[in-house]
Amino acid sequence: MSKWIVETNQLTKKLGGKAVVSDVNLRIKEGDIYGFLGPNGAGKTTTIRMLLGLAKPTYGHVHIFGHELARKRIEILRKVGSLVEYPSFYGHLTAYDNLEAVRRLLDVPRSRIDQVLEVVRLTKEARRAVKGYSLGMKQRLGIATALLGQPQLLVLDEPTNGLDPAGILEIRELIKRMPQEHGVTILVSSHLLSEIDQMANRVGIITKGKMIFQDETQVLRQQARSRIQLAVSEPEEAWRMLLAHGYHVDWDRQQLTAELTDDKAVATMVAALVQHEFAVYRVQEESASLEQIFLNMTGGEGSL
Amino acid sequence: MRGILASELLKIRGKMVWFLVVLGPVGVILLQAVNFGLRYDYLTDQYADDLWGGLIGNVVTLALPTLLIGIAILASMAAGIEHQTNAWKQLLALPVSRSAVFAGKALLHVLLLFVSCTLMLIGTLALGFVLGFDAGAIPYGRLAELVYYPFLAALPLMVLQVWLSITMANQAVPLTVGIIGMIVGMFGSRFDDWVPYKWPHLINAAGEPLYSVACGIGLGVVLLLIGMLQFAGKDVK
Repeated sequence: MSKWIVETNQLTKKLGGKAVVSDVNLRIKEGDIYGFLGPNGAGKTTTIRMLLGLAKPTYGHVHIFGHELARKRIEILRKVGSLVEYPSFYGHLTAYDNLEAVRRLLDVPRSRIDQVLEVVRLTKEARRAVKGYSLGMKQRLGIATALLGQPQLLVLDEPTNGLDPAGILEIRELIKRMPQEHGVTILVSSHLLSEIDQMANRVGIITKGKMIFQDETQVLRQQARSRIQLAVSEPEEAWRMLLAHGYHVDWDRQQLTAELTDDKAVATMVAALVQHEFAVYRVQEESASLEQIFLNMTGGEGSL
Repeated sequence: MRGILASELLKIRGKMVWFLVVLGPVGVILLQAVNFGLRYDYLTDQYADDLWGGLIGNVVTLALPTLLIGIAILASMAAGIEHQTNAWKQLLALPVSRSAVFAGKALLHVLLLFVSCTLMLIGTLALGFVLGFDAGAIPYGRLAELVYYPFLAALPLMVLQVWLSITMANQAVPLTVGIIGMIVGMFGSRFDDWVPYKWPHLINAAGEPLYSVACGIGLGVVLLLIGMLQFAGKDVK
């Protein structure tokens, strides 16, 4: 048994000859909140469909809990809870009956329904028909449904899609406390980096069907190094002068930036500028946001 | 499988499905009540030596098209519950076998129609009593045959409609097939013996209704297996 809860090898899905997902190697550890990030249409949902056995991979394998999905689908799915894209529900039934319809298939005790309703705080609304629910409540019901079978792995595809800020916060808090309280591993997808940044400890970034980054969130943050932005008179000459004195500076015809070094180095750099009679208007730290890194990685196509 | 059927029965709650199950037989019996009520003397005179047989014959002529259209509508409604909110992905990501889900839908459908047919039988008896036919002369065997034999012979049509309704998100297609099927089925007795739409009429060259029933059960099971296989291999949207 490998240490990975979810492991895919060269997972590929072709639709109409075009590879929607190609060579994706997902690795999710136990207890992870794994953020699966990518712009719309990058192949996130298709990958998740394959993880749940809803779509068959054209090529490659999926292993969950150390077993191959294609062989032991039912045993694996018994331990997986999922919410794919917008939540599914039977609008004419109450929340309670919706959960009951799923409970009868999972064969778990009836008391689980009240428990999961409690977790997503829908107990008071449980006897109302779901078609009258707000989107946030439907999402919460979807999460409750996913939790019904006491899963060890929770797959949530864009759980905060279309929610207002309060709803997003609520779902995020729910997701964050789940690994501690219920001991589950979570795969959560989103096209919003800020979302993932706030809850995930590991991140996979996918774009145009290819995985371009997969590591701890920390590693991604380290790439967001700060730079010093210098506003001076005659920046081009200043750039040449600073380069000649051995400073690492960049000139992109608009901005003069220097790599962030220690305070002393910044001070000597400014001193050099002053000595050479450049007027220094501003010296400011510019921290590249994660969004920018994401945009650079995905070739600027991200819808953020 | 019990869980799946229990879940299906819960899901059709509040969807007018049971209403339709009752409406079919009640409608047929009421129409026959009008028929016999208005032409009581003429009809009782015509069927004088076999009053019950005459009543059953009349009920069956109306019951067949009702059964055929009922098959299409109920199949579409049962599948529509999943299509409406695209609940297939949630249902099939649960630890249940795909073929069992398909079989569950088909079983529910057969069960609902069985209830309908049984109501038809009870309704025919009730109408006979109301019309004052002799209770001692009830041909129970023939009545049961004429209600349940067409039901069994129509099994392939049931599976076909369930399959179409499940496979296609757009219910216009299966409903069209069902409606055309009903019209074709009304003239079913004129077709060759191999046409499934003829089987519910229980007419064949050998003059043995059980042949039609056997064909129905046989083809029904074959179609069910093919449908289960196809559904199990399909990607879910």
